[in-house]
Amino acid sequence: MPRTNRFAVAGRRLPRLDAPAKVTGSQVYGADVVVPGMLWGKVLRSPLPSALIRHVDPRPALAIDGVRAVVTAADVPPVRYGPAVKDMTALARDRVRYIGEPIAAVAAITLEIAERAAAAIAVEFDLLPAVFDPEQALLPEAPLVHPGWADYAALPVLARRGNLASRSCIRHGDVAAAFARCFRVYEHRFTTPVVHAGYTEPRAATARWEGDGSLTVWTNGQLPYEVQATLAEILQLPVSRIRVLVPGTGGGFGGKLRIALEHHAALLARACGRPVKLIATCEEELTAAHPRQSSIVELRTGVSRDGLLLAKQARVVMDCGAYAGSGPGTAAVALQIVAGPYRTPNLLLEGLAVYTNKVPTGSFRATAGPMGNFAIESQMDMIADDLDIDPLELRLNNAVRDGDTGPAGEPLQAVSVAECLQKAADAIGWRERRPGSGRGKGIACGWWMTTGGSSEATVKLNPDGTATLGSGAVELGTGALTGACQVLAEELGLPLQAIRLAAVDTDAMPYDYGAQGSRTAFSVGNAARAAAAELRRRVASVAARRFGVAPDRVTLEDGHAVADADRLPLAEIARLIQASGEGLTASGHFLSPPPPHDPARVENHPLPAWNTPSFHAHAAEVAVDPETGEITVQRYVVAQDVGFAINPAGIEGQIEGGVAQGLGQALSEEIVFAEGRVVNPTLTDYKMPTAMDVPPIESIFVEEASTAGPFGAKGVGEPPSIEPLATVANAVAAATGVRITDAPITAEKILRRLDQQE
Amino acid sequence: MSRISLRLRVNSDRYDALVEPHWTLLQVLRGPLGLTGTKENCLEAECGVCTVLLDGRAVNSCILLAALCEDRDILTVEGLGRPGKLHPLQQAFIDHGAAQCGYCTPGMLLTAKSYLDEHKGVVPDPDAVREAIAGTLCRCTGYQKIVEAIRAAAAALKEEP
Amino acid sequence: MGFQLHRPDSVGAAIALARELGPEARYLAGGTDLIIQINRKRCAPGPLIALDRIAGLSGVAAGDGVIAIEAMTTLKTIERHPAFAGPLGALAEAARVVGGHQIRNVATIGGNIVNASPAADLVPVLLALDAEVELAGPAGARRLPLGHFLRGPGVTAREPGEVLLRVAFARSPAQTATAFIKAGRRRAMEISLVCIAAFLALDGEDRCLEARIALGAVGPTAWRATRAEELLRGGEASMAAFRAAGAAAAADCAPIDDVRASVEYRRRLVAALVPRALQHCRQRIAGGR
Repeated sequence: MPRTNRFAVAGRRLPRLDAPAKVTGSQVYGADVVVPGMLWGKVLRSPLPSALIRHVDPRPALAIDGVRAVVTAADVPPVRYGPAVKDMTALARDRVRYIGEPIAAVAAITLEIAERAAAAIAVEFDLLPAVFDPEQALLPEAPLVHPGWADYAALPVLARRGNLASRSCIRHGDVAAAFARCFRVYEHRFTTPVVHAGYTEPRAATARWEGDGSLTVWTNGQLPYEVQATLAEILQLPVSRIRVLVPGTGGGFGGKLRIALEHHAALLARACGRPVKLIATCEEELTAAHPRQSSIVELRTGVSRDGLLLAKQARVVMDCGAYAGSGPGTAAVALQIVAGPYRTPNLLLEGLAVYTNKVPTGSFRATAGPMGNFAIESQMDMIADDLDIDPLELRLNNAVRDGDTGPAGEPLQAVSVAECLQKAADAIGWRERRPGSGRGKGIACGWWMTTGGSSEATVKLNPDGTATLGSGAVELGTGALTGACQVLAEELGLPLQAIRLAAVDTDAMPYDYGAQGSRTAFSVGNAARAAAAELRRRVASVAARRFGVAPDRVTLEDGHAVADADRLPLAEIARLIQASGEGLTASGHFLSPPPPHDPARVENHPLPAWNTPSFHAHAAEVAVDPETGEITVQRYVVAQDVGFAINPAGIEGQIEGGVAQGLGQALSEEIVFAEGRVVNPTLTDYKMPTAMDVPPIESIFVEEASTAGPFGAKGVGEPPSIEPLATVANAVAAATGVRITDAPITAEKILRRLDQQE
Repeated sequence: MSRISLRLRVNSDRYDALVEPHWTLLQVLRGPLGLTGTKENCLEAECGVCTVLLDGRAVNSCILLAALCEDRDILTVEGLGRPGKLHPLQQAFIDHGAAQCGYCTPGMLLTAKSYLDEHKGVVPDPDAVREAIAGTLCRCTGYQKIVEAIRAAAAALKEEP
Repeated sequence: MGFQLHRPDSVGAAIALARELGPEARYLAGGTDLIIQINRKRCAPGPLIALDRIAGLSGVAAGDGVIAIEAMTTLKTIERHPAFAGPLGALAEAARVVGGHQIRNVATIGGNIVNASPAADLVPVLLALDAEVELAGPAGARRLPLGHFLRGPGVTAREPGEVLLRVAFARSPAQTATAFIKAGRRRAMEISLVCIAAFLALDGEDRCLEARIALGAVGPTAWRATRAEELLRGGEASMAAFRAAGAAAAADCAPIDDVRASVEYRRRLVAALVPRALQHCRQRIAGGR
């Protein structure tokens, strides 16, 4: 169905601005950076999951020809840092807590020498007891991953104790009383494994100390301003002495949010007086990056005879590994996810982030989304089956509507979950849910936030009549910055080709909370709008003087200031402003405040109410081979409320890519541990979907405009990877009668369960 | 270890490069030759981002000894086309939104070129394209727009005289 | 001894080099496995003797009675070769599912055999074709059945300095067909959890004259499921008989538990896929009649 669009640039399918550079190989990524005089760095990592470091002897490494520096914890200020809990150190000090933890780093004239030298560093350990299972880590007798936990600084909102890095809670009503009155109460347990974001460009960093004692870092990270702040903390330098550049990023998906190798590059570069570059190997990516937490979700849900949700109790355990990382936020956000886009009068939701002696975890596209959604949307189907209600009908009967409140009592607006469900169901042909032997369809829905945080943008009018957008937000590949440029072009009456995007550089670009959380096009777009409004005022004022009209009569069209029959090209106005000194660069800023919530409902939750939530439903048709258990996803449909589709082609790309990632987590991907050691640290055995594994994906846009987003837009990027796991689980159950509650849903698990049923 | 001198023909240009004898083609392209359009990731032929053409055929440059590539024709993304004279595959990738982060794009373009060159005059069906590019992982796009772009390029190439 | 790359232009020269350089030296075919090992260690290996410049070591010779595939023939050549479009189709089927096109443009059948991975996809097909390997070494040339050549994971009967020259097997008569099936978690880029090759010869009444079934990734080497074959010989080519053969093969196989799959699942796959491969053969014979 063709959309009507009142805009010339916004809402159009336009090629992304960086496409020509990317198809010709001229786009430079962090991994490509070469600096004159550069040396290569390598990190020595712990071979043990839990041990005291008795002694580190760098001499064997320093004796190797070509080695220029070795740094150990002794060379680093004793600083602990971290996004929620300050529990990490740049290099292990006294103690290692996971296999892969950095102990020392080496710089040498070649990468091969650096690797040989890192291996030559002699380390003596005293083994300590380790704990790998988060449930065991919560037992009173468990060894403490951080015996000094009580002394760590942390976000004031967090509740912590021992191996419990955080506990968050949302409660309202009285679940115990409600359960007693329910027609049925269902209890299930769901688990998901550690998975990796799988960006194709490994993390890389290059650092150079300048003559004035300041530091320049080139990285492919997602958040240059966070890298800057964290480096300042680790190196004990004023923030302004650190300049972070992000030339290009080959995917992030949350996995490149946190500092990665930048600190090691900076420490080595300082020690040897030469620029140093590090690049992560595939094995380092799969054993020592920031993967997604494994999860356990225990879910107890009570319903009425006709399937209305009356009470829900959940206990979510996120295994955050040896350092808290994004674990506390993920465990907290899981609570909104397990509440789901459903009316539930009684809630008791508890989210725990737990330390274990495994790789510390971070964020991956929609943090807790796939884990929590897998639990609640699988259970919705189990409830529907038990009550003999159609799963679509069960969802529609319980779905939140405009004017309802969310789990923390916040008002919900522009709610579209019912519409998304209906459209996805229609597109997949829901009426024929089991179209044949071994075939079945599944549906799942969910909601997600448009992350807040502030954005500031500059817009510079160039003397040729084009405009340059300046932002501290990184283009990860999502196309979000092209989206922001479309918003800007629309506001300035320019074609998209007349907008240039400036390079990301903390010295030159304004602050941005960064490319994360489905916020980039939304938030940068709004900041750009504000900047454009300011620039328009100046342009109108100059043009009005020339035309002899009031400034409010002047509009911007096709690269001209226009008032009635008068037209003046923006290029000429730019030259007039250069002379008049009114300023060619305007800036704008934006912050989306969260909606008000009821504080009595939440405990220790850093994100109690979501900004501009989006709603979505997915549906899939699968075929399962009864003899091998092999699953074929034949069709996939997404109906997603995007508020306003700033670039429909770009949003389809987000949906298709997000679904592919979600299907990987549903069907094939898992990092497998044995006693804290990753047993599949290669892409041979960490199985991301190939082109042959991803089915055709149909995207359906629902556009229930938001009040806060540019032209009504909502956050888009993360949601598509939330529902695939539950959708596939439900389709597989429809096809086979087998319900898999531990992801990934493999052929082997299905066949084992089919055998048990016989 | 002493370096050896290699004569390589890349994008029709002749290079004399001083390399370690065990270096892979990828190392030589990205290092001494400075052709960083060819990307590096897994270094074990699992991801395909390092794909280049050797005598017209797609190969993983990460597992090919550079010394075995002397006197053979190597094509990298830098030689595929340039602004103003893009290869139909490059134009189709732009038009169809087939590049997102773009890190797999050079390898994907050359994987596709190798296949289309082997099947001249044919617009492959979507499943054939998926099979053709299965050795090159993309984590951003879900492959759908890549498949569309490759088919569009095949159609454009078919029309070319 | 550091890394050296040698590129002899004859088999004789290659063998002489191997003798001279000693046991550290290795022959290099397509390198799709060996160079990964070098990348992982990131250290210079011992000397390599590349076979790429030796004339006549690549190509398929389809004679009247015998088909010989030279060791340096790429999997892509096999995948596309007309000799493997008909009754010998399993070879193309197996070649087609090794890695991506980039691998198949480089990887060789010789490397697939000599590497002796229990999961090598072409090896079961060659076993099912009763293939022989031909080697040349310091002590001269010799031929032996492929099944005798394979000794264990990564271990073969190759003597020091010996080069695999070619693999050869009889052309299939009428009323025969082959099939290959592999199982993995994904549809491409997989190391087989199980791979199965079948050769079936039927008479005019749909009776089994001969069945040869070879399995990969369910034992220390690829192997022939001889008990399953015996069950079929002389009997009716029915799904029931094929299932019985699958059950026998599943009972006889010796898979391992690893991160890819369990022993039980691999057995179940053998039980399910052996009949399927045989059924493909039967359908192909029927289609060719």
